[in-house]
Amino acid sequence: MKRQILATVLFAGLLAAPLPGMAADASLDLVTPITDYKIYVTRNVDALVKATRTFTDAVKRGDVDTAKRLFGPTRMHYERIEPIAELFSDLDASVDSREDDHEHGVGSSDFTGFHRIEYGLWIKNSTAGLTPLADKLMADVLDLQKRIAGLTFPPSIVVGGAAALMEEVAATKVSGEEDRYSHTDLYDFQANVEGSKKIFDLLRPQLASQDSAFIQKVDGNFKTVDTILAKYKTTDGGYVTYDKVDERDRKVLSGAVNTLAEDLSTLRGKLGLS
Amino acid sequence: MKTQDTDTPISLQRRRLLQGLGVTGATVAGSLCPFSAHASAGASGATHAPQSDATLQSQSFYGTHQSGVVTPRPAAGIMVAFDVLATDRAGLERLFRTLTERIRVLMQGGAVPQIDPKLPPPDSGILGPVVHPDNLTVTVSVGDSLFDDRFGLASAKPRQLQRMTSFPNDALDTERCHGDLTLQFCANTPDTNIHALRDIIKTLPDLLLVRWKQEGTIPPVPVQPGRPEPSARNFLGFLDGSANPKADDAKLMDGIVWIQPGSEEPAWAAHGSYQVVRIIRNYVERWDRTPLQEQETIFGRRKYDGAPLSGGTDEFTEPDYRNDPEGKITPLDAHIRLANPRMPGTERNLILRRPFNYSNGVQNNGQLDMGLLMIIYQASLVEGFITVQNRLNGEPLEEYIKPIGGGYYFTLPGAAGPDDYLGRTLIQATA
Repeated sequence: MKRQILATVLFAGLLAAPLPGMAADASLDLVTPITDYKIYVTRNVDALVKATRTFTDAVKRGDVDTAKRLFGPTRMHYERIEPIAELFSDLDASVDSREDDHEHGVGSSDFTGFHRIEYGLWIKNSTAGLTPLADKLMADVLDLQKRIAGLTFPPSIVVGGAAALMEEVAATKVSGEEDRYSHTDLYDFQANVEGSKKIFDLLRPQLASQDSAFIQKVDGNFKTVDTILAKYKTTDGGYVTYDKVDERDRKVLSGAVNTLAEDLSTLRGKLGLS
Repeated sequence: MKTQDTDTPISLQRRRLLQGLGVTGATVAGSLCPFSAHASAGASGATHAPQSDATLQSQSFYGTHQSGVVTPRPAAGIMVAFDVLATDRAGLERLFRTLTERIRVLMQGGAVPQIDPKLPPPDSGILGPVVHPDNLTVTVSVGDSLFDDRFGLASAKPRQLQRMTSFPNDALDTERCHGDLTLQFCANTPDTNIHALRDIIKTLPDLLLVRWKQEGTIPPVPVQPGRPEPSARNFLGFLDGSANPKADDAKLMDGIVWIQPGSEEPAWAAHGSYQVVRIIRNYVERWDRTPLQEQETIFGRRKYDGAPLSGGTDEFTEPDYRNDPEGKITPLDAHIRLANPRMPGTERNLILRRPFNYSNGVQNNGQLDMGLLMIIYQASLVEGFITVQNRLNGEPLEEYIKPIGGGYYFTLPGAAGPDDYLGRTLIQATA
């Protein structure tokens, strides 16, 4: 299903003719940002492979404390590049699905990946039975790295990714549903926002020529999010658990995230992408 | 109202629109309902939808008072409470001004703006290319928490506005209580309310965050020429709204509902009203297993014709307790007798009720999650709802009902005209 969409988008991308009033030649203009974004994604998936290896090694040798410490930081590499990672829906399901994606919850045999391991580490406080899950996660992440290497990045997915990441935050991070056992949601939150901001920054030259007020508004909301997230950083560079985020800050985060999602949803149109 | 084709009745325009969609509609219907006789090959036509000649009904937005309070109650209502995300007074004023503008536009209706299809559409489209007013009203009220330290409004807080506290039979769920601001949506159809709500959410993501929402409906009542309009029934099967003060009597409403200039309330609040919202779950399975006689004793009215137990043949007969001081006919703790004892002085406790029935799904125990979305307006919160509810505490009806959410709010005065906005008097009073 995802692949079909990908093919359509690619095809459409090639044929896309900019509308009057849009960027003069969208596809040409976007060559540099798309190339740069591919470098960004590749670096992150390389880091993901490395971090997942350390994390799954800890799980396999029964080191619960180390595994718990590595869980949040490891996931960040995945969460930054979710618009691309999610193109491979089979891998996304086996790497990053949550309990509620499965009718029979934790007991479902196809519930694998980060959140199934998270369940073992935090709810059972144990690595018992997690070795096959750790091996599967490692294999999936390696598969992801390989598939991304062979992928032509569709401009519409890249540009649309800035908003897609904010939708992720709005749907599951703000409510604390993503990392429901470990409450390490702020790592994912931060990573989604970084991934979105990266795309926005790469497109800044294309946007600056047409809408500086828009850029100012988006920058302002990114800053609001950054400022609040910074309050919850720990001395070791990590984040406190999500239950420690006070209610007023949660509301301000929600407002900024919803506004970013709303504004960034116009990026594709602004850049003349269909 | 901008109708492109003024000579064509809207119903016809709508039919043409539906015909335009007909082929797709038939295909979809065919694929979903393979056994449907209507899906036979070659047939084309819209999937049947209920028809209404009331979609052009509209209420006026500008006025001394906001609409949606004494306005006749249409079939569908939604109460939504929001947290206000503005961080300063400028943000709050922008919120009030933008709300005013959106509500005005939505209540008036018109063609949806057309834009470059590469961009997200500015309108959800759920009412089609031309939005009909459909009797929509959106009423803005503010909660006690808006008057905290954020906007410098503390000195202007209506004197009786307070955070709702629990009554003895309440089991309040904090996630369905309170809020800085409420919007009450009323319209002929639920979709019109939802369209308006989605418009406002999309327009104000940086200033409003939905806190809770409760939808409700009112069953239509039969039209009986020459007879007064009957009340609608609640989910306990009783007529709900009998003996409500007449909302079309402006003088009466000035006394019961609207804050009057020169009252003890702050001057900015004149022509506003206290809004009480109560989400009251009904234990309907248990109620349906209760003898009719007991149901009627609990309410103090007959179930089917609505007549008070004190006599009469319909709900319009005034209850009369003068010859029944011991409650032998109408028990002293019957719902209507406690709510309005009709004693000297208790006319001060009159309130205007605007309830909707709600049905939310199923509870964990398999019982239906339904009840009453009670909305009440009054000029005095303390002499109105709070006094009435305190009299009702311990009533036999409590065994069948459980208030679980809601809050106390203050409905802002109306916007007088295009230069005015809802909340202006509050902002100016604290400048």
